[in-house]
Amino acid sequence: MSLNRDFFVALFFLILSGVMFVATFQLPPPMFGQMSPALWPRIILVPLALLAFVLLISSQRGEAEEQPRRSLGEWFGYYRNPIVCFALFFLFLVTMPVLGMLIGGLAYVFLTLSVLGGWKPRQLLLHAVITAVFVVGMWAIFTLLLGVFLPEGALLRVF
Amino acid sequence: MDLFQNLAAAAPQLFTVSTMLLMMVGTLAGLLAGAIPGFTIAMAVVLVLPFTFTMSAVQGLATMIAVYVGGLSGGLMSGILTGIPGTPSSVATTFDGYPLARSGKPGLALGIGVWSSFFGGVIASIVLMVVAPQLALIGLEFQPVDYFALIIFALTVTASLAGDQMLKGLMAALFGLLVATVGSDVVFGQPRFTFGIDSATQGFAFLPVLVGLFAFSRLLNDVRDPEAAHKALGGHDAHAVNIDYIHSAKEVLKRWGNVIRSSIIGVFVGVLPAAGSTISNILAYDQAKKTSREHEEFGKGAVDGIIAPESANNATAGGALIVMMALGLPGDIMTAIMLGALLIHDVIPSPSFISDEPVIAYSIFLAFFVANFMMLALQSVTLRGFVLVTKVKMYMLTAVILFYCALGIFALNNVGYDMWTLFIFGVVGFVLRAFGFPIVPMVLGVVLGQIAEARLSQVFARSDDITIFLSRPWSLFFLLLAAFSIFFPSYQKHRGKAAWTKYYPPALLFVMALPVFMMPGFIRPSIAVAMAVGGIALAVMRLREPARPKEEVQQ
Repeated sequence: MSLNRDFFVALFFLILSGVMFVATFQLPPPMFGQMSPALWPRIILVPLALLAFVLLISSQRGEAEEQPRRSLGEWFGYYRNPIVCFALFFLFLVTMPVLGMLIGGLAYVFLTLSVLGGWKPRQLLLHAVITAVFVVGMWAIFTLLLGVFLPEGALLRVF
Repeated sequence: MDLFQNLAAAAPQLFTVSTMLLMMVGTLAGLLAGAIPGFTIAMAVVLVLPFTFTMSAVQGLATMIAVYVGGLSGGLMSGILTGIPGTPSSVATTFDGYPLARSGKPGLALGIGVWSSFFGGVIASIVLMVVAPQLALIGLEFQPVDYFALIIFALTVTASLAGDQMLKGLMAALFGLLVATVGSDVVFGQPRFTFGIDSATQGFAFLPVLVGLFAFSRLLNDVRDPEAAHKALGGHDAHAVNIDYIHSAKEVLKRWGNVIRSSIIGVFVGVLPAAGSTISNILAYDQAKKTSREHEEFGKGAVDGIIAPESANNATAGGALIVMMALGLPGDIMTAIMLGALLIHDVIPSPSFISDEPVIAYSIFLAFFVANFMMLALQSVTLRGFVLVTKVKMYMLTAVILFYCALGIFALNNVGYDMWTLFIFGVVGFVLRAFGFPIVPMVLGVVLGQIAEARLSQVFARSDDITIFLSRPWSLFFLLLAAFSIFFPSYQKHRGKAAWTKYYPPALLFVMALPVFMMPGFIRPSIAVAMAVGGIALAVMRLREPARPKEEVQQ
C-alpha cells in the first residue's frame, strides 16, 4: 500500500462522505410532500464518495504525483509562514472580544509583519509605521466614513 | 429601440459626479492591482466590496466593474515592462510585449496594449448590450429543471478546466456544494449538519467562504517561501516611460481584423463558465499567430502578439457579465463577487432581471463601457504609481490585506461569526491548494449550491417524475453538454493519438442536435437538422481518413 498524499485526501473524503451520509438520517422527514432535506446532500455525497474511491485507487496505482517526503520537523519548517499567519489570525479572532478590532488589528498586523519580515530595529520601526498607517487608517474609514460599528473590545470600554 | 430608451433611463443614474469619481478611483485601483504580480483582480474586487455596502446598487456595481476593467488592463504594465505578467490574463502579452519593450520601444508596446484593451472592452460592451437582453429572453424559457441542469453543466465544465486534475476538480465542486448544505435546508429552513452548534444554523455566507478560499489561501501561498515573501512585488525592472498613444493607435487600427477576432474570442470564452481571461488571452494569441502573415515575428516583439491577448482579456469580462446578467449565474470569481454585491443591495439576478430592473442592468452595461474610456485615460497616471508600488514587499502586502479581509468581512453583516468562517475556509483553501485541488470549482459549488437545491425542490414540488430531466429540451441540452465536458480533458490529452478522439466532435454535434430539435419554433429545429447532418458528414469524413502509421502516432 502506498501512503501518498492522494491516499490521505481520498481517505478523508471517504470518511467525510460516510459521516455526513449517516448524519442525513438524523434530519427531519419531509413535510407536505416537499423534497426531503436529506435528498440534496445525499445526491452530493454519493458521487463524492465514488470519486474519492476512484482517487484512492489511482493513488495506489502509482498515478499520483510524486511528492518529496518530509519529516514532521521539515514539514513545519516548509509551511512555517502560513502556519504562523493562521495562528496569529486565530489569536486575533479569539482576543477580539477583549482587544477589539483596533487594538487587536494593530497587534495582529504588527506581529504578522515582524514574524514574516524580521525583528531588526529598523524593520520593527518600518512595521510599526505600516501598522499605524494602514490599521488606523482603515479603521477610521470604516467607523468614521462608512459608519460601520466595529468591535470595540472590553479593553477600550474600560478606559 | 428599447435599448436606447433603457440606456437613456440608466444614464442619469450613472453619470453623476460622485459615481464618476468612484469609478475613476476604482479604475485606478484596478489598474494598480492588475499591475502587481501576484495580486489578482479578484482580490482587488474583494477588497473593494466592503466599500460598496453604503453605496447605492448602481454606484457600488459601477465601482466594482471599474476595478474589474482596470485590473484586466493593469496586467499589461508589468508584463511589458518587467516580463512578469501582473495577472494570469496577461501571460501572452509578455511573449511579444516584453521583447518589443526591450528593443527600445516600451512606449509603443504599452500604447498598443492600452489601445487593444480599450477596443476589446468597447467591442465587448456593445456585444453585452445587444446579446444579454436576447439571452435573457431565452432564459425566460427556463424552468427550474433547466436551471438545475445548467448549474450541473457550469460545475462540470469548471471542473473539466482543471485539465489533468479533473477528478479533483469534480471533487472540489461537490465539496463546495456540500459546504452550501450546512446551516438550514432551503425548503423548510430546518437546521442541517449543525452538529449541535447553534451559530452553525446560519450556514456559511458565501462571501466569507469565497474570500477565505480564494484570497486568504492565495496570499499565504505567496509568502510560504520566506525568500519570496521578502521580494519586491514587481522586481526592480519597472521604470516609468511615456506611452506613445498616437503611433500605437495607428498600429492597432491597421490591424483591426485581429482586434475584432480576438475580442470575439474573448467574449465567447467569457460566456463559458469559469473559462475566463486566463484562457482567452492564450487562445487569442494562438489564433493571431496562426493567421498572421508575419508569424515568424511572434515571440520577438510582434505587434499582433500584443493586440490579440490584450483585446481578448478585456473582452472576456463582457462575456462573463452577459451570463451573470442574463441568467443570474456567475461564471467566474469576479462575477460571483458581483452577484454577492447585487444580493447585498437586494437585487436578485435572474432571466427577468434585465426587464425587472432595467435601470440597474443598463447602468451596469454603461459602466462597463465607460470604464474602458477611464482605463485609457488613467494608464499613464497609474504607470507612475505602479513603479512605486513594485518596491513594496510581498509580506507587507499580505499582512495588511489579511487584516483588511477580516475588517471587510465583518462589515458584511456585523457579526464575528463571518470572520470565523473566513478563517476556517482560509485554512481549507490553503490545504486544498497544497493537495493539488483547484479552488474555482469549489467556490462555484458554494455559490451555486443553494440555488441548485432551491431549483431541485421546485422540480420535485411539481412532480416526482425524474424523466423530466430528459424530456425538457434545455435540461437535456445542458446535461448532455455536462457529460461531454467531463470527457473533454481526456479528448484534449489524447487528440490525434487515440482513435476515439476523431469521433468526439461529430458525436458532440450529432448528440446535441437532439435537444435542439426538441425546442419550439422553426429556427432551432432547422439548426438541429444542420447540426445532425454536419455531425454525420464529419463522422464519414473521419472514417474515410487513412489510418496514420503507428510510428507517426507515437511521435
